[in-house]
Amino acid sequence: MTRLIDRWIGLTDRISTWAVRFAGFLILLAALLVGYEVVVRKVFGITIGGADELSGYAFAIGTTWALSFTLLRRANVRVDALYARLPARVTAALDVLALFAMLLFISLLVWRGWYVLVDTLNFETRAPTPLATPLWMPQTLWLFGYALFLFTIVPLILRASAALIEGDLPKVRALAGARTLEEDAGLEVEQAHSLVKSSQPATATER
Amino acid sequence: MLPTSLSLLVGLLALSIPVAAGLGVLALLLALLYSPLPLPLAMGEIAWSTGQDFLLVAIPMFIMLGEILLRSGVAERMYGAMVKWLSWLPGGLMHSNVGSCAIFAATSGSSVATAATVGTVALPNIRTQGYNERLFLGTLAAGGTLGILIPPSINLIIFAVLTDTSIPKLYLAGIIPGIGLALLFMVMVAIACTLRPKWGGTKVKVTWAERFAALPHLAPPLGIFLIVVGSIYAGLATPTEAAALGVIAALVLAAWHRRLSVAMLLEVFENTMRTTAMIMLIIIAAYFLNFVISAIGLTTLLTDAVSGLGLNKWTMLLVIIVFYLILGCFMETLSMMITTIPIIAPVMVALGFDPLWVGIVIVILIEAALITPPIGLNLYVVQSLRTSGSLNDVIFGVLPFVLAMLLMIALLAIFPGIALWLPNAFG
Repeated sequence: MTRLIDRWIGLTDRISTWAVRFAGFLILLAALLVGYEVVVRKVFGITIGGADELSGYAFAIGTTWALSFTLLRRANVRVDALYARLPARVTAALDVLALFAMLLFISLLVWRGWYVLVDTLNFETRAPTPLATPLWMPQTLWLFGYALFLFTIVPLILRASAALIEGDLPKVRALAGARTLEEDAGLEVEQAHSLVKSSQPATATER
Repeated sequence: MLPTSLSLLVGLLALSIPVAAGLGVLALLLALLYSPLPLPLAMGEIAWSTGQDFLLVAIPMFIMLGEILLRSGVAERMYGAMVKWLSWLPGGLMHSNVGSCAIFAATSGSSVATAATVGTVALPNIRTQGYNERLFLGTLAAGGTLGILIPPSINLIIFAVLTDTSIPKLYLAGIIPGIGLALLFMVMVAIACTLRPKWGGTKVKVTWAERFAALPHLAPPLGIFLIVVGSIYAGLATPTEAAALGVIAALVLAAWHRRLSVAMLLEVFENTMRTTAMIMLIIIAAYFLNFVISAIGLTTLLTDAVSGLGLNKWTMLLVIIVFYLILGCFMETLSMMITTIPIIAPVMVALGFDPLWVGIVIVILIEAALITPPIGLNLYVVQSLRTSGSLNDVIFGVLPFVLAMLLMIALLAIFPGIALWLPNAFG
């Protein structure tokens, strides 16, 4: 059973990685489009219009598509003032509780988001803009991101709960533990190191 | 209602429920407890309209700008140039640390990235040139915090969105306090190293020819700053449009330094969106919570309770400074901003403080939270750059700079013009 769930988690990991890259690509496209529009408007006096609207959609979609990746990388901020001082068994229980709280919150978003989409479809709502975008298009993609999050958190909850019951505390921590400050800081530094090493030596260290 | 809500909030956060989910669940509970109306039904609409807000599109773009710039190789060259220009001062390279942080801050909206990047380049110099390790570490951790005060700043955008303040005006208001704070940091270093010359390391001889030869390395970051901040004030672009231009400029710069690659872009995408999704989920939850607490009348209750204390302006300011300094010991800074600002900013404005001024003071307090133990993230960033030594070194090292931040707030209280002159003159 756990092997099946582990494979499910592996699958969500691959999907989430591509989803987050696509999300970033959308934001880059939005930046290029918005930048192009500003330049054309100011330099050539031509107003294309629509870049703000489209980048808004890119943003809404990009954000939700990145959510499952954020979950898997345990990047959701948690206050660990008390957490850090509790025994491992208690923090493991809190980790599972945290997943359930996320599930509750995102389920609410999916449920109400679904009704936003249903209303749009019923009333065939279009954006009140020159583009008159049929809103079901961006809203469907937007909602898909939230759904992907649910698809990702369900196996995490199953696996983490199973590990908690078995007493496999390190597994719970690996799946859902709050990132410690040291871990956060370590990530930043690892990144900065690899960046500086890959570049030419700085003048300050040449001497 | 008030005690229940506060204990629920504290309880949820203390249980280390992710902040976004904690705020969302709190809003849900409050709506069920105190309102006959089905308030949670509005959640979908709130999530959609907030999620596609063009103003907020600036957030992922500024994050992306910073991520690209980090990988474009400008930081190391810039540090080298700052060494040539600032190392003659008492305290040597420590001034270059602060200066580099300030310039890097002018292109990046993040404090942590600023400290990590400048720190990586600067740290090897402590031993080789005999600096006082603690003070040196302090300049890096504290200098890094300038990232959120000097525009472009993601925290200032969040303040603007939560309080309906103009982002361009807030950015203008942040410039002089940002530069001022950097100067105060340098004054602290100079004083320390004049009293204890041994702390200042060995002097570096630099000729004027070398100084001028290094100037071009300062051009890329300053160019990005001009494109981003300049286009806002020239009336050419909104903050989001300026951020988009900044992303394009950073891409060009990365391509120029031959750093642009698919692998690099994928890394940029992952980091940008991970941070964006984390921030946006908290913002959406906070919008929902604000909607609920104003619908059930809690906002008025809270502001009335605070004004019922009958504190005058300045006592209130002191209370708020102490409040943030204490809260900063328990909460991560972003969550702290998003949960407190919707309540505190209106109270301060009602007492007669200018909203822009309030924004700047709160961001300086947030900077202080980044370098005060036990959970100042910048302390840990600088600590993990080191191979040996304890966190206490960094904690002691930042003390003079926390003092400088409080001094800056005092100066702002006495001369509000430090923040307000620029936005009034150009806004």
